[in-house]
Amino acid sequence: MNIQFKKGVLEICVLALLNKQDRYGYELVQKISSQIAISEGSVYPLLRRLTKEEYFTTYLQESKEGPSRKYYRITDKGRAYLHKLINDWQEFSIGVNQIIKEGVSDE
Amino acid sequence: MNKEQFLRKLDSSLQRLSSDERRDILHDFEEHFAIALTEGKSEEQISDSLGSPTQIGKELLANYHLEKVGTTASTGNIFRAVWAVVGLGFFNLVIVLGPFIALAAVVFAGWASSIAFIASPLLALVNIVIYPGSFELFDLFFSISLTGLGLFIAIGMFYATRTLTDGFVRYLNYNVKLVKGGLKHD
Repeated sequence: MNIQFKKGVLEICVLALLNKQDRYGYELVQKISSQIAISEGSVYPLLRRLTKEEYFTTYLQESKEGPSRKYYRITDKGRAYLHKLINDWQEFSIGVNQIIKEGVSDE
Repeated sequence: MNKEQFLRKLDSSLQRLSSDERRDILHDFEEHFAIALTEGKSEEQISDSLGSPTQIGKELLANYHLEKVGTTASTGNIFRAVWAVVGLGFFNLVIVLGPFIALAAVVFAGWASSIAFIASPLLALVNIVIYPGSFELFDLFFSISLTGLGLFIAIGMFYATRTLTDGFVRYLNYNVKLVKGGLKHD
């Protein structure tokens, strides 16, 4: 898949994964990379940017094994942004599917 | 690449950031390594799936510089932001550096001509001093009217410069979103 494209989709994935529950960075990375092939490291710059844009807040929490973990929690602003992205995504994919259907059914 | 090599490479690509910010970023990656190690992965495997630390560093730098331009638009900041965005890919060399040079040239030309116009009576005076015989009222009045024109251009350039700077910062932001692969952004 095209890299630019994947990065845009990554934003939706991260926001959607945080919509129901708070998660830590590693968990987010694993959830996403189990579904789509990504450079795992690129999730972290994205998390920082979205945090700075106030779509997330963060807090540290101790864990039984290993060091304390940084959790991300979505804000109201983040939820609003997620819904906008989902709308954009759906419009976009409906459009692409339509074009594929027209293009391929001719053959 | 093992954990230490990865972190060192990442750290060295972040030298422009404040030490707080760098520590924070490195901490995120140390956490990632620590958790993945408890799952039995090797350091090499982990850094392989993280990807290139230099590329991650570039993304972080571009974020950082754009944020800074957003708060205070000084010439140095804009330059660094342009540079950071250009660093994201050769593609951007054309669509960022090109317009930037063009805009900078327009702004420079505007200011240069307004200053030259304002200064033109001085040139007329110099001319009179050097060739006292050639005094002509026409030269003097014409240069004075150029001064007036120059002042108007200067006022215009003041607003134009501000508008162009704002516009360009917005264009940079748009570009980073584009490079980061937005689908549709407003």
